[in-house]
Amino acid sequence: MSAYRDKDPRIHGIQTKIRVVPDFPKQGIMFQDITTLLLDPKAFKDTIDLFVERYKGKNISVVAGIEARGFIFGPPIALAIGAKFVPLRKPKKLPGKVISEEYILEYGRDCLEMHVGAVETGDHVLVVDDLIATGGTLCAAMNLLERVGAQVVECACVIELPDLKGRERLNDKPLYVLVESH
Amino acid sequence: MNGALLLNSSKVYAHFASTVAKRHCRSIATPSSVQLSLSHSKSHRISINSCSCAASGDSVQARQMASDDANDTRIAAISSAIRVIPDFPKPGILFHDITTLLLDTKAFKDTIDLFVERYRDKNISVVAGIEARGFIFGPPIALAIGAKFVPMRKPKKLPGEVISEEYSLEYGKDVMEMHVGAVEAGERALIVDDLIATGGTLCAAIRLLGKRVGVHVVECACVVELPELKGRDRLGDKPLFVLVN
Repeated sequence: MSAYRDKDPRIHGIQTKIRVVPDFPKQGIMFQDITTLLLDPKAFKDTIDLFVERYKGKNISVVAGIEARGFIFGPPIALAIGAKFVPLRKPKKLPGKVISEEYILEYGRDCLEMHVGAVETGDHVLVVDDLIATGGTLCAAMNLLERVGAQVVECACVIELPDLKGRERLNDKPLYVLVESH
Repeated sequence: MNGALLLNSSKVYAHFASTVAKRHCRSIATPSSVQLSLSHSKSHRISINSCSCAASGDSVQARQMASDDANDTRIAAISSAIRVIPDFPKPGILFHDITTLLLDTKAFKDTIDLFVERYRDKNISVVAGIEARGFIFGPPIALAIGAKFVPMRKPKKLPGEVISEEYSLEYGKDVMEMHVGAVEAGERALIVDDLIATGGTLCAAIRLLGKRVGVHVVECACVVELPELKGRDRLGDKPLFVLVN
């Protein structure tokens, strides 16, 4: 489901603030840069408000944000809806006891970590990142959360790249995005 | 207004006699949702409002006391919520883990509120947050005070044109980057990170914003300070505001 389709009047302002940078990090990739969105206080606030309006009062106890850009959008949502914020991080960043989930990249592998004890069985979780491409990172995040017995209610991203079919990779987990980029 | 505050004159005196009161945290009942075992970190109550009391009446003093007591309660809970982990990332280092603070919804909200209360009327147009934990505290502050948020990142993360600033680590060097055009000369900036240790990272951010672009860095704000590492001195003329040290 996407707010883009719902044509909320705020969406246009958000979409025009996202900067597309060609050939980053390598040739052929059109990088969707959300930093320009963050430079527009109204558009950034609208972005958060759209998510908060959707999730407030829906019994979400945890917002899990994926390092690093999920750290920008996740905490404001968590604060507004009264949920805990849990960072999902690259390896060796979290101190103390962690659980890890490995996932496949185009070339090679990467790993996502979460603190043991941060999320409990029965927690209702919203997973947040700036963008969904292939869905590999979001899948790893959902696996981590489900391994500790939490329920992933939905994944929320500012941007979706539908051509990369990340939505299908999430199996039947709902995905909510504000804008699509083809 | 709590009339009882006015009666306790020794408490009033102690408050005004020292601007910094060392205070060990009481054992605060942690919310049941926080499962991780917590050890306490000491908290300082930094005098947030400089008080010129000579000419003011009792009621002003009482308001100051009430607001400082409310601040103390919030800061004590924030301090208790931060977990100290020994020997991470290597032996001898006491790591201050703010992730447990983020699991305490009231304490996390209070953390942001304390910063917002301080900065909302300071005409700040930019909040710069240092990757990655500065990304957790910076944006909520920026949103609340109507400022832009600018991420200060490790190398090669930001697309497009960047400016870079090298800085020293204990062993070796690191580089911090910022987008060209994100901020303009003359803007008023707040730099945010979770913690200040030696101050090296914050200094790099100050150089990028101040020296290289001509932004006026109003203050650096951190949740935690490790005073023994003297980061505050390293910031030179740039003020530092922290909640816990």
